[in-house]
Amino acid sequence: MSTFNEMILVVEDDPQIRNFLCYTLHNEEFNYLSVGTAQTALNTIVSEQIDLIILDLGLPDFDGLEVIKKVREWSDVPIIVVSARDQDKEKANALDLGADDYLTKPFSATELLARIRVAFRHYYKTSSSTIQTKAHVGELEIDFEKRLVYLNKEVLHTTPMEYKLLALFFRNIGKVLTTKFIIKEIWGTAYGNDTQALRTMMAGLRRKIEETPAQPKYIITEVGVGYRLVEE
Amino acid sequence: MKNWKVYDSLYSLIVVTLFLLIASGTGYLFDQAGFPETNIVIVYLLAILLISRFTKGYWYGIVASIAGTLLFNYLFTSPYYTLAVDNPSYIITFVIMTTTALITSAITTRAKKNTIKAQEKEAETKALYNLTSRLTDALDIHEIAEISTRMLSDALNCKAACLCFDENGKPEDYYTQQSDTGELVYIKIEDAIDLKHQVEGVRMGYVINEAFYDWPIYGQENILGIIRIPVEKAEELNETQTRILHSMIENTALAMDRVYLAYQRLKSHEETTQERYRGNLLRGISHDLRTPLSGIMATSEMLIEMTDSIDPRIDMIKAINKDSIWLHSLVENVLSLTRLQNGKLALTKEKEAIEEIIDQSIRQIKKRIENVKIRVTMPDELTLVPMDAKLIMQVFINLLENAVKHSPNVKVIDIIVELAYESGSMVVRIKDNGNGIAEEDLNNIFEPFYTSSTKHADAKNRIGLGLSICETIVKAHGGEIKAKNREDKHGAEFIFTLPLEDGNEYIQ
Repeated sequence: MSTFNEMILVVEDDPQIRNFLCYTLHNEEFNYLSVGTAQTALNTIVSEQIDLIILDLGLPDFDGLEVIKKVREWSDVPIIVVSARDQDKEKANALDLGADDYLTKPFSATELLARIRVAFRHYYKTSSSTIQTKAHVGELEIDFEKRLVYLNKEVLHTTPMEYKLLALFFRNIGKVLTTKFIIKEIWGTAYGNDTQALRTMMAGLRRKIEETPAQPKYIITEVGVGYRLVEE
Repeated sequence: MKNWKVYDSLYSLIVVTLFLLIASGTGYLFDQAGFPETNIVIVYLLAILLISRFTKGYWYGIVASIAGTLLFNYLFTSPYYTLAVDNPSYIITFVIMTTTALITSAITTRAKKNTIKAQEKEAETKALYNLTSRLTDALDIHEIAEISTRMLSDALNCKAACLCFDENGKPEDYYTQQSDTGELVYIKIEDAIDLKHQVEGVRMGYVINEAFYDWPIYGQENILGIIRIPVEKAEELNETQTRILHSMIENTALAMDRVYLAYQRLKSHEETTQERYRGNLLRGISHDLRTPLSGIMATSEMLIEMTDSIDPRIDMIKAINKDSIWLHSLVENVLSLTRLQNGKLALTKEKEAIEEIIDQSIRQIKKRIENVKIRVTMPDELTLVPMDAKLIMQVFINLLENAVKHSPNVKVIDIIVELAYESGSMVVRIKDNGNGIAEEDLNNIFEPFYTSSTKHADAKNRIGLGLSICETIVKAHGGEIKAKNREDKHGAEFIFTLPLEDGNEYIQ
């Protein structure tokens, strides 16, 4: 699976979870380093060539959010945050500060690897300068040039706002987008934090693209955090 | 009693005679000295004033007034030592003298009566003041009873008694009474319950018993005790004494109420502190359990992957994994519960699309459980319902887990969402295709730690916190939850509602 010889940094203080992370990475033949504190993590990031960081938010020395802030000052290396279930605020904050994705404890190896895959793909896509003209997930397709959306090869009628929203998701396939981020992108900063408008629009869109809106195939909800367009 | 009255009259007669004699004597001296007769009249009037002062009632004053005039006539007007008069102008003197004497005596008597009344009033006030000030320092019900008994006995000059009721309204076995020596004694009462029933029937009144008249002590909410006044005293209570008695009972009631209130406040304060402490402890423990549990879950999963599927050890590892998953969900439930029970923390409600909550709940379930088919039926129109997303998700997860647990191998679960506008609520039904719920379990299925009476407490039926938490969460949202058996086919059905509009619900 690992073709680029990436180096992954695991920042986790709990030995069991760290073992699990390292074992999973080892199994998939990733290169990895593991540290248990925020300070050593920062030192390692500066001194080593790191391609992806898996960061636990609850570190013994200081807040994982601080690590994200510091790293984002000079690097856009993908960061996947690991947190407990009742830390929705922290998760959303981490994402808004620049983390790429998150995992909620307890998570499985499959979930972890899926997240890593998405993060890498996204990273290489945005760093390469080729401009995407089309994208698709399952039977849902978008044509950025024609500004059209297709479902089952047929043109789907969307409002300009809905198109904007879909385009935003297609540019971030597999990545979780926080409600705050989406609102800012779609309505602009002046709109504040009105999640209700977004929820209503989301529900409308789901009714157009999903067979059963309560078990969506394309755009899933991350309650308390945001939405994600699933990758295939 | 009668002797006392005779003695009183005798005393008054002596007073009348004595003062009239002194006045006559003085008059004689004045006469000898050649003073004018008017001086003698004044001396008589003074005597009548003093008589009125020292006797009881109007009658002695009136008698003295007439006797005085007659004596003056007899002794000091010519012809002397007869009741006849030479000079008709004396008649005018007599009339004026009698009238003046009568008015003087009347005014004096009234003034005296007022003084007595004022003194009684003062005594009453003083008695009440003493009682109140002593009661303020009383720390418990018995101390209050003792003080009241003592003060009442003093104020009414009898052997008053008091029976207390405990905080549950049950009469005690002993009542306290002032004894002959002035000490307080405790006397056993046989028919305390009967007595309680008797006094419960009256308001502002009393009950007559063999040895006592019994007055209930009314607190704010219920009867706190009984004041007992011996029959012989109670029968002859005058207006003032009755008033004193009532006021004292009232003050006793106030003091007892205060003690009970303070006691209750202390108790409830203690309880809340303990509750909070327990909650914090539980929360802390659950929190700390979660991290290692995540580790066990992850490690066991890792081990499952590392182990050959024909290796006999794989079953053990799978068991570890399964139990850790179960423990983890228990911990999550406890955390939700402590969050709600902390009470102060209100729900963080936002208008949510229910489909999003259902979506993520189903995905969580499917992460752990295979071969389950979940069908969702939703109304076409979108309604945003105010709720705490995380907690309602917990409700769905718990109900789905419960449905999965009680379903056969081929698990089909239906989630049906309906909008009931007439009742202003959203109705969610979760139906499974299991064996349903036993009749005897239906009523207590939401009780914490309730396990079905019909099954053995094996791993599948361990303590059920899940459903009880569902109930707590739904109720906190102002909704309702109930369980029943499906009418269409085999299986259980759980129904919960959420109000469509945000009301002012509070967590109990």
